[in-house]
Amino acid sequence: MTRFKTACKLRAAVTDPQREQGNRARELQRGLQRWAFALVPALGVIELGAHAVQTRSAVRDGDWKAARDFVSSQSRPDDLVAFAPRWVDPVGREKFGSRLATVEREAPGDVTRFPRALEVSIRGAHVPALARWRRDDEHRFGGVTVTTLENPAPAHVLDDLVSMVDGQHLRVFRGDSECSYGHAPPQSGGLGFGPGVPADRFACPGGGFVAVSVVADLDYFPHRCIYAPPLGGAPLRLRFQGVRFGRTLHGHHGLYVEAERERRGAPVTLTFRTGDAVIGIAVHRDGDSWKSFEFDTADREGTVATELVAEIGAPNGDRRMYCFEADTR
Amino acid sequence: MKIGPFSLRGPAFPERIGWRDHGVGAALGLAYVGWLLATARSLGFPRDEGMYFHAAIDYVRWWRMLFERGRDAVQQGAIDSAWGFNHEHPALMKSLFGVSWWLLHEKWHVFADASTAFRLPGMLSAGVAIWITYLFGARAFGRRAGVVAAALLALMPRVFFHAHLACFDVPITAAWIACVYVHWRAQERRSLGWTLAAGIVFGLALETKHNAWVLPAALVPHALFVHRHALLRGLRAGRVALPASLVSMALLGPIVFLALWPYLWNDTLARVQWYVDFHLHHEYYNIEFLGRNYFGPPSPKGYLPTMVVATVPTVTLVLFAVGAADRIRNGARRVRAWLAEKLRRPKGAVFVRDASETDLLLALSFCASIGPFFLEKTPIFGGTKHWMPAYPVLAILAGRGFQLVVGAMRRALPALAGRRLLAAEAALLVCLLAAPLAVTIHSHPFGLSAYVPLVGGTAGGADLGLNRQFWGFTTQSAATEFLNDRAPRGSTVFIHDTTWDAWARMQEEGRVRSDLRAVAAPHEATFSLVQHELHMNEVDYDIWASTGTDAPVYIVEHDGVPIVSVYRKP
Repeated sequence: MTRFKTACKLRAAVTDPQREQGNRARELQRGLQRWAFALVPALGVIELGAHAVQTRSAVRDGDWKAARDFVSSQSRPDDLVAFAPRWVDPVGREKFGSRLATVEREAPGDVTRFPRALEVSIRGAHVPALARWRRDDEHRFGGVTVTTLENPAPAHVLDDLVSMVDGQHLRVFRGDSECSYGHAPPQSGGLGFGPGVPADRFACPGGGFVAVSVVADLDYFPHRCIYAPPLGGAPLRLRFQGVRFGRTLHGHHGLYVEAERERRGAPVTLTFRTGDAVIGIAVHRDGDSWKSFEFDTADREGTVATELVAEIGAPNGDRRMYCFEADTR
Repeated sequence: MKIGPFSLRGPAFPERIGWRDHGVGAALGLAYVGWLLATARSLGFPRDEGMYFHAAIDYVRWWRMLFERGRDAVQQGAIDSAWGFNHEHPALMKSLFGVSWWLLHEKWHVFADASTAFRLPGMLSAGVAIWITYLFGARAFGRRAGVVAAALLALMPRVFFHAHLACFDVPITAAWIACVYVHWRAQERRSLGWTLAAGIVFGLALETKHNAWVLPAALVPHALFVHRHALLRGLRAGRVALPASLVSMALLGPIVFLALWPYLWNDTLARVQWYVDFHLHHEYYNIEFLGRNYFGPPSPKGYLPTMVVATVPTVTLVLFAVGAADRIRNGARRVRAWLAEKLRRPKGAVFVRDASETDLLLALSFCASIGPFFLEKTPIFGGTKHWMPAYPVLAILAGRGFQLVVGAMRRALPALAGRRLLAAEAALLVCLLAAPLAVTIHSHPFGLSAYVPLVGGTAGGADLGLNRQFWGFTTQSAATEFLNDRAPRGSTVFIHDTTWDAWARMQEEGRVRSDLRAVAAPHEATFSLVQHELHMNEVDYDIWASTGTDAPVYIVEHDGVPIVSVYRKP
C-alpha cells in the first residue's frame, strides 16, 4: 500500500505539470482560434497604412534637382547617364534635361563604348545592362540614388558611323541614283508611323530617306541609328568617307517594332565593303530584334578607308523600316 | 425540408427582405451615382466613349423620328443611316445615353456638360448593380452582408473608373447580376411575374453587351439542378418539363434583343451573324502584362488572377475568401450528408435545404463570368473591365465573409452588448472599408494606372510591368495641369491616342482651352503628348528624332509614375 501510495504520488507529481502544460497549450490554441478573426480587420488597417506610405513615397522634386546637379558636376562627355527603373526614364529626362539625358545616352546601340556610367535610380532599381560593371561610388539624394559604375572593358571607338551622317562624310545612292543631303520639314506621326525622320537627311529620287533616327526594338527599347529602309530592287549604298579602322567593325541592326513583330517581312542584308573587299555581311530576319554584329578588321587596323560602303538590300521593301548603327574600334 | 434523417442547411434566410431593403439598396446606389457625378468632370474622354457619344446622337435622332414620323423611321434607309454607325455593339445603352443627352442636356438643361448627360445612364447602371448586390446579399446572407457587399463593390477602383463612362462594361455588370438575381427569384417564387421578368432581363442583358452570351452557362445548369426532381419525374413519365424561367429566357430574350435593336430589323440573320462573328473573331489589341506586350493569342493564363489581385483591394479579396470558404464547406457538408444517406450511414447532421441552390448559382455565375479569360484565344486587351460581371458575386461572398468575421468577434467578446457591441461592429466595418475607400478615392482620375497596396500601389504596378492606361483619356489631365495655363495662345498640340471627337468635346465643355489646335503629327505641333503605355514608347522616340529633344517639359504623374509626357518643340 505504502509503495502504491508513493507511486501514485510520484505519478501525480509527474503528470500534473504535463497536464497543466497540455491545458495551457489547448487554452492558447483556443485563444488564438477565438481571436483569429482579428487578422481580417488588422489586414484592412495594414492595407490602409501601406496605401498611406506608398502615396507619399513619390520622389520629391528637390531630390531630383540635387541628383541632377550632382550628375551635372560629375559627368564627362563620354559617360553614360541612365535611369532606373525603366518606367521612370521620362521623369529622368524631364528633370535632367536633354543636355544631360542626351539622345545618345538614352538610346545607345549598346553600352560597351561607355567607360563609365552614372546610374540614377529610385526604389532600389538598377539598369540590367550595367549589372556586371564595377560599383565605384554611390550618393543618395533623398529618394534618388546616383551610382557611379566603371565599365570593366570599355571599347575605344575610333569612328562612329551614326555621327558621320552628314553631307561631308557620307554619300548615299539608291542603285545608281545619288540621294541628296538637305534640310526639309521633319516627318513624324502617331502610333504605327515608324521612326521619325529628322529635318537633316538624305532624300532619294523616287522616295525614301536616310537619316539619323531612333528605332524601337521588339522590347520597345530605343536605339539611335541610321534609318535606311531598303525599298526592294536596287540596293541602298551608304558610302562613308575617311573611316579609321581598328580591330573590329562593331554594330547592331534592327527594324521598327511594328514592321518586325509579325515576322512576315523579308530579311534585310547589310554588307560592308571597302574597295572590292567584303568586310562582312549581316542578315537581319524578323524576330531578331536589335541584333549585334562584329567583323574582324585587324588586317586594316590603323588604316583609313577612302570609302567604307554599307550596302542595304532586301528582296522586297514592304515595311522594311530598317536601321543600323556601327563603329570602328 | 428533410431528406431521410437529414435536414439540409444552405444559406440561411435570416431576414425578411421587403420594400425597406429596396430603399436601402436604392439609397446606396444613388449615393454612388452622386459620387460619380461629382467626380465626372475630372475624367477625360476615352477613345471608345467618343464613338458612343456619336452613336448615341444618331440613335436618339432615330427614336425621335420614330415618334414624330413613324412610317419614315422604319424604312431601311432611315434605320441604316441612324443605326449603321458602331453596330458592333447592341443599342440599349447607346440609346439611353442619347435619350439622357437629349432630355437632360439639350432640352431641359439639367447638365451643363453634354458628356455628363451621356454618362448618366452608365452611372445609373452602377447604382443598379449596387442596389441588386445589396438585395442579393441581404436576401442570401443577411442585411449586414448585403450592405458590405454593396460597399465593397462600389469601392473597387476599376469599377469606380468604368462606372463614370458612357460605355458598356458597368452596364453589363449590372445586367448580369440583375439577370442572375431575377433568375434566382424565379426559381424561388415560381410565379408568372418572375418567370417573365427572367426572360425580359435576359433580353436586356443581351442588348447591353455580348458578355450575356455566357450567362446561360450559369443559369441553365443551375435551373436544371434546382428542378432536377421534377425533371426526372417528367422524364420517367415520358415528357420534358423544362423550368419555366429557362423557357422564358429562350423565348423572350431574343425577342427583346431584336426588338430594341432596329439595325437588326432588316437582313436579320446576316446582321446577327456579322455581330456574332465580329466578337468571336475580334481583333487583338495589345496590352502590357508583366513587362511584355501581348498582341494576340495565346493569352497568359495568369492574367486574370494577377490583375484581380493587383486591382481589387486585398481586404475585399480576403473577405471573399472567407465567405467563399464558408460556402464551399457548406457544400462539402451537403455532399457528405447526401453520400451518407445514399450509403445509409446517417451521422445525424441537420441541414435546412436551400430550394434555390444559392451557393451553386453564385459559383456558376462567378465561374461563367471569369471562365473565358482562362482560354488562350480570349483577348485580354480590356484589362479588368471584361470580367467585371464577376465582381458583384465576389462582393456578395465578401459580405458573407464580413458576417462570419462579425460572428467570430461576438464569440470572442461575449461580454459586449448593446451600444458597446454596436461600436465594436462599427469599428470593424471602418477597419474593413477604410482601405478600399482610400484606394478608390486616390485612384481617380487615373483608375487604370492605380494598383492596390499589396503590389506597391501605382509605382508597384509600374515596377511589375502592368498596363498603365489605354484609350488616351488622360489628355484632359495634361490640359488641366499644364496646357491650359502655360501653352501660348493658338498653340498646336499633338494629341496622340486621344480621338478628335474626344478633344473637340473637351474643348466644347471648357476642359481644354478652345484656342489650342489638335494636330496629327509631333513635328506639326508646338506641344506633343505621349500617354504612357509600353507600346507607346515608339511615339516618344518618334518625337525625339523629329523634333530633336528627348526631354519633356512637363509630366502628368500619379504617385511619381509618368502618365502623360508633354514635349515642347525647341
